[in-house]
Amino acid sequence: MGIKVDFRKRHYMKKSDKKKGIDPVFMLDAKFEAGNELVVLFGRSGSGKTTALQCISGLLEPNGGKIIVNDKVYFDCHKRIDLPVQQRSLGYVFQNYALFPHMDVKKNIAYGLKGFSEEEKGRRVGEVLRLLHIEGLEDNYPSQLSGGQKQRVALARALAPKPEILLLDEPFSALDAVVRMKLREMIRRIQKELGIPILFITHNPVEAFTMADRMVIFHNGRVQQTGTPEEVFYHPQNSHVAELVGMTNIFEDVIVGEEDTATGTVLLRKDELQVSVIQQKLRAGRNVSWGIRPENIYILSEEGETDPQEENVFSASVKSIVNKGASKLIYIDIGHHQNLLIAETSNQTFEKLHLEAGDTCRVKLDKRKIAVF
Amino acid sequence: MLEQVWFPLVITLKIAAISTLIVAILGTIISYILARREFMGKWLVDVLVTLPMVLPPTVTGYLLIMLLGKNGVIGKVLFDLTGISLLFTWQVAVIAAFVVSLPLMVKTTTAAIEAVDRDFEYAAFTLGRKELETALFITLPLAKKGILAGVVLSFARAVGEFGATLMVAGNIPGRTNTMAISIYSAFQGGNNELANMLVIILVTVSLLSMAITARLVNRWKI
Repeated sequence: MGIKVDFRKRHYMKKSDKKKGIDPVFMLDAKFEAGNELVVLFGRSGSGKTTALQCISGLLEPNGGKIIVNDKVYFDCHKRIDLPVQQRSLGYVFQNYALFPHMDVKKNIAYGLKGFSEEEKGRRVGEVLRLLHIEGLEDNYPSQLSGGQKQRVALARALAPKPEILLLDEPFSALDAVVRMKLREMIRRIQKELGIPILFITHNPVEAFTMADRMVIFHNGRVQQTGTPEEVFYHPQNSHVAELVGMTNIFEDVIVGEEDTATGTVLLRKDELQVSVIQQKLRAGRNVSWGIRPENIYILSEEGETDPQEENVFSASVKSIVNKGASKLIYIDIGHHQNLLIAETSNQTFEKLHLEAGDTCRVKLDKRKIAVF
Repeated sequence: MLEQVWFPLVITLKIAAISTLIVAILGTIISYILARREFMGKWLVDVLVTLPMVLPPTVTGYLLIMLLGKNGVIGKVLFDLTGISLLFTWQVAVIAAFVVSLPLMVKTTTAAIEAVDRDFEYAAFTLGRKELETALFITLPLAKKGILAGVVLSFARAVGEFGATLMVAGNIPGRTNTMAISIYSAFQGGNNELANMLVIILVTVSLLSMAITARLVNRWKI
């Protein structure tokens, strides 16, 4: 069960370009597997997420490869199988909802219930309306609904024919923060209730982290990493992924030093900047990159004992402070290395520090949270 | 006098109605294909359909005679098989009206269909609906204002058709003398009283049909 995809899609400027051997303007190589869980396709715009979703749905035809959902072959280039969209039994929610403006909510939802009697249609429409908590909207037209209501109706319409997989293309991008939170929870609940795979596109890291059972990271038309949100956020496999998941502090071209078997740590060195990390089977002399999330950089006050044994503590100067609402972003420069870091700290901690731009302080990089890739 | 007014009015409305009906159906199909399909020679279809809009009506009429006359490509076959001659009948006036109003229908409707967001169609596909069903129940209803505009323009063009009709159907009293042609010949013959009467009726009919359409469109929300 679940979903297994491994396909290629090439976009050409003109149809004839392919024959002439002109390079495609966009290339997608999508390869990932997932179970009956909430899968978030994550990446910047233009990274290939939507193209991947359209290929899985059958709205686009891949140039090669395979797509298998719940043991049903949707597409297989070698066996020349290309199941029409209509037969893939999937639910698709479009970014702009695509509710039919000339039909009321009831008709919109019932549109996918082909071959049902009027009575059965009525019952099923009632069921999905209850599932999404939108009873009472039946007779409204899409133009009379709020953004959140439209989104729920679109979901109801996609779910009404009992699809075997649900595809959501950035469904919350036009909604306000409160509605978003509620709908994220709702989608998670629906996934648990129905037990079908849900593919969800987003470029919002918070959304990805809070919703996903599994994340598939796209960059430049390629899947960079697949894994749980924890794996992806704390152990990115390369700098593209690290950057995408908000690891704002990345140092490339770092040399791996000798392992200290007593403490199980390894030193990573770049110019004069030297950090120790929990050893991760790193061969000495290798060239790697490391990164740390802003919330894992701790600001220590200038006073206080400096234990020379303490690892990864650097003196730093504060460049600027940005208020993020619930937290503060502190731009700091460590040592004399001209290495700019971004740290994030809660307002509560920040108040105790009495920091201003131009001040000096000490920072500690939590070695357990430093990711090496 | 009554006959001189009544007959042209009836024959004009009859010709325009039949021609508009065919234009509406065929034009919508052609427009859908032009708007939603890619195929070899698409440009040629586009050119052929649009041609009568840019050609002088007399040239269109002349070409129709070449095609439908007793020695024409189609006319000869038809005459040899059935003994029917199309020229100088009201039926050939329908064909002339059809040819000159089709471009108006196709241009307007193609634009209207192209303007329908494809996501609506994709949504229908994912809900298990085939292309024909989707076209009939989603695309065309969403393009209905544009389609109606095309129909109204086509009807108006058919009612006002003069040049091509005069060439292929002539001006035979009691058979092919449409309003437009009758006005011209009444004026030529110095019968200003008749010309005035016909003009007043034609203007009234046109205004009336415009008013009805406007009311209909206003009632549509989408």
